[in-house]
Amino acid sequence: MTGARTITHDNLAALVADLAAAGTRVTAPARGADGKVDYRPIASLAEAALGAELPRRSLKEFFLPASEPLFSWRQEGAKVDLRAVPTEFPPHLVLGARPCDAAAVEILDHVMGWDYRDELWFGRRAATTIATLACPGVDGSCFCTATGRGPESTKGSDLMLYPIDGGYLVEVVTPKGDALVTAHAARFISASDASRPVSPDPGPRTPDPASLPMPAIAEWLARNFEHELWRDIALRCHGCGACASVCPTCHCFDIVDEPEGVTEGTRRRNWDTCQTGLFTLHASGHNPRRDQHARIRQRVTHKFSIYPAKFGEVLCTGCGRCARACPGGMDLPEILGRIAALAGAASGPEAAV
Amino acid sequence: MNLYQPYLMKIEAITDETPDTRTLKLAFEDPSVASEFDFRAGQFGEYSVFGSGECTFCIASSPTRKGGIECTFKAVGKATKAMRGLDVGDTMGFRGPYGNHFPLERMEKRSVVFIAGGIGLAPVRCVIWNVLDLRDRFADVTIVYGARSVSDLVYKRELEAWAERADVKLWQTVDPGGETPEWKHEIGFVPAIVEKAAPSAAGATAVVCGPPVMIKYTLPVLEKLGFAAGDVYTTLENRMKCGCGKCGRCNVGPVYVCKDGPVFSAAQLAELPAEY
Amino acid sequence: MKELRDLARTLLADGAVKVVIGYEEGPRGVRPAFITRPEHAERLIFDARCTHCLPAYLSPRRTHVAALGKPAVVVKGCDARAVAGLIREAQLAREDVVVIGVRCGGVTGDPTVAELASGTVAPRCDACDAREPKLADHVVGPALPAPPASDQPDMLARLEGMSAAERWEFWQEAFSRCVRCNACRQACPMCFCERCVADKTQPAWIESSPHGRGNLAWHLTRAIHQAGRCVACGECQRACPADIPLGLLNKKLAHVVAERFGYRAGDDPAVPAPVGAFRLDDAQEFIR
Repeated sequence: MTGARTITHDNLAALVADLAAAGTRVTAPARGADGKVDYRPIASLAEAALGAELPRRSLKEFFLPASEPLFSWRQEGAKVDLRAVPTEFPPHLVLGARPCDAAAVEILDHVMGWDYRDELWFGRRAATTIATLACPGVDGSCFCTATGRGPESTKGSDLMLYPIDGGYLVEVVTPKGDALVTAHAARFISASDASRPVSPDPGPRTPDPASLPMPAIAEWLARNFEHELWRDIALRCHGCGACASVCPTCHCFDIVDEPEGVTEGTRRRNWDTCQTGLFTLHASGHNPRRDQHARIRQRVTHKFSIYPAKFGEVLCTGCGRCARACPGGMDLPEILGRIAALAGAASGPEAAV
Repeated sequence: MNLYQPYLMKIEAITDETPDTRTLKLAFEDPSVASEFDFRAGQFGEYSVFGSGECTFCIASSPTRKGGIECTFKAVGKATKAMRGLDVGDTMGFRGPYGNHFPLERMEKRSVVFIAGGIGLAPVRCVIWNVLDLRDRFADVTIVYGARSVSDLVYKRELEAWAERADVKLWQTVDPGGETPEWKHEIGFVPAIVEKAAPSAAGATAVVCGPPVMIKYTLPVLEKLGFAAGDVYTTLENRMKCGCGKCGRCNVGPVYVCKDGPVFSAAQLAELPAEY
Repeated sequence: MKELRDLARTLLADGAVKVVIGYEEGPRGVRPAFITRPEHAERLIFDARCTHCLPAYLSPRRTHVAALGKPAVVVKGCDARAVAGLIREAQLAREDVVVIGVRCGGVTGDPTVAELASGTVAPRCDACDAREPKLADHVVGPALPAPPASDQPDMLARLEGMSAAERWEFWQEAFSRCVRCNACRQACPMCFCERCVADKTQPAWIESSPHGRGNLAWHLTRAIHQAGRCVACGECQRACPADIPLGLLNKKLAHVVAERFGYRAGDDPAVPAPVGAFRLDDAQEFIR
């Protein structure tokens, strides 16, 4: 793989223009009509807000859209015709991803690919190159370092960008990243001797990774299905899905049929969340998770015990969006701290509930 | 085409088992799928009526009978109510087979005890025919089947066929009060009839399927008869959407019911949180 | 603060209530607290960050809270309207809750922002006439000065000044961000239906997909269901992870209800809401 390079702001702008002209979709953090930052399509670099606030939602919707058609049908008498949706996608560059969002996508590859391959997910994965911008952190709800990630984590990224005077230092992480750099070599300046900028100050990130020891938390979760902690922390939970909707790794979905007229329609999949009562409700009326505490337990256990046991990694990158979004003040790093304290493995913040 | 797009299936025959339970015989529209399709006893599928969505149940026919599949269902939710409205010749969707299966190889040379209640006979029937179609590979075969009332018994013609076979010991029962004047078989709840039938646990495997309350009271009876928890199998019916380990809905403790199940031994169930 | 904590401690110690639902310091500003032991009453606080409308936790939908036993709830004067609304619509009996009113000097609308200024004050504090809580069993705290007037633009007026096409574009863009997480509904004290119309599948009155059709149907249906019910607590908008200005829809409908029915969702549970009452002098021009 080629060594480090740099790219000036002007050349990055030209690169975005080149790509857009060649039919590559470019997505970057950018401000919308309401002034807030989301990952959104850009036509020129001027529209991007690289390094601005944390985008409201994560990158997952570019691989698992909030709602997408699976196929459509048309009925004629007793006969039905199905129309497939494409599983190949036009080339796509994500520019200025957060390391936590890029990592989440790779973590989700496990579940999307075990035995049965989700062609829609992997079709988009194959088409997308992710250029991640080293992260200065957001605020005290960031806990990426405890999940094994960090400001310069390259997991899930094809290219890493580090801000330098007048542009970015570009590090190639994967062959896909290399291909992009090679194809647009004229826009880059070889800087094999360029030293990497000083690592971003871990700054607002909290807590100390040692205070949230993931193996001890996983082990405690596997042994404590029944524990007063769950009823305790669930009280303030409204049972909404705000946390799951902003989460880069929550990936549960629903499948629904939407008729359009009498003889045609589309089967779609839509984001769903284990935080609602409807999620597990059987047609018979039986509901194995009747109470909110069971749903909170499911979310935490799935992320920090079930997923690592099955796929070897926690289903969380510590972006802190859930804590920021929660109208009831639920706080995942705090909950993990309490679990760590209960596990006796660390002196996590034993916050009162 | 992606993995959520179903095969198209034609309804070849409809059998009303009870006033609210129906069996559909389905044939693949695409002959190449029909010739390649294979499954194992205990696997399930996602059945759908276009416009009303998908529903999940085990394949009720035996993998030894080629040429299509059968499913038996009760009209309870949106999709099953729509399935109930279909006629012979209509087209519906099927995705599968999904999940694990009953350990038929492990059961060979052993006796098999089938215990089912109500519509729970559907997944068990798949294994029963699989075993009966390979009858010489198994030792004693005992079937204990019960329903709330005589009219709630499913697969009545097959019950007659099994009753007539010398190589099958069949116990049929209905709940007290569910009998008719003509009823000549047992009256009592399934666990009590299992106790009365007292199948030998020696070299035997049990397959149990039915309402949760039946399973709850049958497992201790089997234990008393000497069945090890690892030799008793059942199948779970958690709510599912994708059927293939993606959508997260059927996750219970460390297992995805759709991938790690739906077939579990009583020993495995004892380790699971009671979220099913 | 001492008055509030002393009262909570006494209510719990005497067994008058099993839980006091109030506010505490959390990892990200103020958050709801569920105090079940007298010695934990020290955690209760009240200040300008206490924007949450706590009566939401009294709705029978919150089975996990109800399981604790009889609650006391800390309310601002505006929040008392939600208690009144639940009583008015037979979701709560007055004697089943102890209402602790706190005198309010305005809130910021953001649990992490303490400084009350013209740029931070919650829209609902504008011209508030409920800073002295009514419907309360106990009223605590010192009388506070009125909050500063908001210098935020009046979005509703701006919208009303737009053409229909411009308004359509505004809401299309706002609703396009909705992923149907249901936070607006779940955080709402007046969304207490046991089975929401949006959750019904036979038939599916409202498509559950977060696309243009489904989102428009959901937000307009919810706004209309909240007409004459919404207590303007702003929780739907605060809960929305996509920052959709849902409060504007509710405010518009509150104006319509006030104009057509002379009704405002107030803190007297005995005054029937237009959705639950028939009056001979109701404007009936929509029936033709």
